[in-house]
Amino acid sequence: MLLSPDEWQIVRLSLKVSGVAVALTLPPAFALAYLLARGRFPGKILIDALVHLPLVLPPVVTGWLLLIGFGLRGPIGSRLHDWFGVTLIFRWTGAALAAGIMALPLMVRAMRLSIEAVDRRLEGAARTLGASGCRVFWTITVPLALPGILAGVVLGFARSIGEFGATITFVSNIPGETQTLPIAIYAALQVPGSDAIVTRLALISVLLSLGALVISELLSRRAGAGRGGHVL
Amino acid sequence: MRLTTRFISFLLAAFATLWLTTAATAKPPLVLAAASLQESLNAAADAWAAHHHERPVLSFAASSALAKQIDAGAPADLFISADEPWMDDVQKNGFVSPGTRVSFLGNNLVLVAPADSKGTIAIGPGFPLAQALGNGHLSMADPDSVPAGKYGKAALTALGVWPSVQGKVVRGDSVRAALAFVERGEAPFGIVYATDALSSKGVRIVAVFPASSHAPITYPIARLAASTSQDAEGFRLFLISAEGRAIFRRYGFLPHRPQAL
Amino acid sequence: MSSDATPSFDIDVRRRMGPDAEVALRFTAGPGLTALFGRSGAGKTSVLAMVAGLLRPDTGHVRVAGETLFDAASGTSVPTARRAAGYVFQDARLFPHFRVRGNLRYGMRRATRQAMSLDAVAVFLGIDQLLDRWPRTLSGGEAQRVAIGRALLSGPRFLLMDEPLASLDMARRGEVMRLIERVRDELGLPILYVSHDRSEVDRLAANVVEMG
Repeated sequence: MLLSPDEWQIVRLSLKVSGVAVALTLPPAFALAYLLARGRFPGKILIDALVHLPLVLPPVVTGWLLLIGFGLRGPIGSRLHDWFGVTLIFRWTGAALAAGIMALPLMVRAMRLSIEAVDRRLEGAARTLGASGCRVFWTITVPLALPGILAGVVLGFARSIGEFGATITFVSNIPGETQTLPIAIYAALQVPGSDAIVTRLALISVLLSLGALVISELLSRRAGAGRGGHVL
Repeated sequence: MRLTTRFISFLLAAFATLWLTTAATAKPPLVLAAASLQESLNAAADAWAAHHHERPVLSFAASSALAKQIDAGAPADLFISADEPWMDDVQKNGFVSPGTRVSFLGNNLVLVAPADSKGTIAIGPGFPLAQALGNGHLSMADPDSVPAGKYGKAALTALGVWPSVQGKVVRGDSVRAALAFVERGEAPFGIVYATDALSSKGVRIVAVFPASSHAPITYPIARLAASTSQDAEGFRLFLISAEGRAIFRRYGFLPHRPQAL
Repeated sequence: MSSDATPSFDIDVRRRMGPDAEVALRFTAGPGLTALFGRSGAGKTSVLAMVAGLLRPDTGHVRVAGETLFDAASGTSVPTARRAAGYVFQDARLFPHFRVRGNLRYGMRRATRQAMSLDAVAVFLGIDQLLDRWPRTLSGGEAQRVAIGRALLSGPRFLLMDEPLASLDMARRGEVMRLIERVRDELGLPILYVSHDRSEVDRLAANVVEMG
């Protein structure tokens, strides 16, 4: 066995947290990407800046904002708890929220680029052929933007797998619940004599991130393959 | 052109003066200290500086993390750990200057709750901590490595409570991180040192762990072999002197209790 | 030609295109193929776009075969999808992610009654061997024929053609022009045809509107 059972649990938790994070972030990311790509409204620059905030803010600050907002004493967290019985702090769902927020800017960027690359004249042609707005969206816009959307998803996944600062600040280190791969590596680093564990976990981390980046790059190339060029 | 040249010359002269003057001053000692010493050690450093010395530079973290840094060759002058094993580790690896290790402080371990909470619970064998926590978490320093966490785990194990609360533990990097979550009200209970609870307005002490439930809490100090500051030994001696210990006592630290043999 | 027959095209449009550019055209035309003739940049494509509903005129009206598609005065504007225009673009504009068959079928939903089946149209246009090909593998002439087929199969009430021969070489041009003559003669739909080539216009058009 390459890893011990405990270490496999850490990897599985990381995959679960990142998978859920990306799946839940996908709809709002796509909506924002579409809004920013096609919309024309006052305050667009502000929305754009807010979307990019998690990218440039120190992750620990993002984690702190999550803590004071979604913690049990926070304005949102307390209501989630009292009304729905939902707790995010110290739970893997909180880790997924942190990872999702950190991944959002990257996903929006990739998706926005691919939506902008969709030839609007093709959408116009579809309309002349009788397609409603809804039909144009699902049969023309989305399929042509799909490689970029997928690239965004994979990039978001890679970012989620590596997410540390916001996660440890918001949901801390709970083995089996919130101890994702980066947090496990960090915790191991705090203790002398842990280099073997750190090496194994770090190797997995590198492989996962590298794999995700390569896939994302391949998908991006297909997305940019040209208006007349690509085939789905 | 002449103005530019004169200006540049002035800048160079200024830099040279600054460089020389800073090089001439003695380097203050770098102290790596357990997180629970934050306020008290800062007060001691201020007192030392008031005696016309360079104020030492203090770096606080969990003793386990500090031991790791020292083992990796961190160029520090003094190390104050919150338990003996981490000092043993550093000494075993040859980083301690011989004859400079002294244990000089003690502490108590307490169960704390947010200041505005109402629940009480008494500590005794098999006490119902898991029930009291309910869906909440117990905020502790990492029980596998950080001294405060190790003492806490030992105490809960001795009282037969550890298995029932093990899955509810939030592992903080240090005892201060553990304290912070209780201060915020995010965790209903936490285990920290009595001195941490005293220094924080955001928590109240619910109960004190009996001294018999864990190893005596002691703080050893030592000068490191890599020490280069001339002031380091002086500061160390000051800390273990009567004046130094008095400062720590003001913050709630106990005198060192040697381990019963 | 009877003088009280409904004109196939009754167009009166004006639109500002930029800080110092404006497109304005007014004409009515009888049955058959009507050519919009003029030099490049005169705004002929913009006029087609306004008839199709892809561009909204600032003032005026657009009536095709008696039906009002746009009237600024009454605020009427039929959405593009309901105008039933068969638009053949200058660059074919085939959907790259559908095969030829998928492109041809795209508009067939709207056609309430099919004048011709897909296979019949494919044979008519000589593209029946290409049905499983991807658009990027087609030559310019093949793509243009697919574009015409796609427009025909969408159940159009009229056709808009924007310089369909412009990007073709001489051999293809003759071939497609013959096809357009057949479409003109056999389907009887109003056709608005944009071109800057006098010889095309002379050969195909029953009515000529000069622009620019």
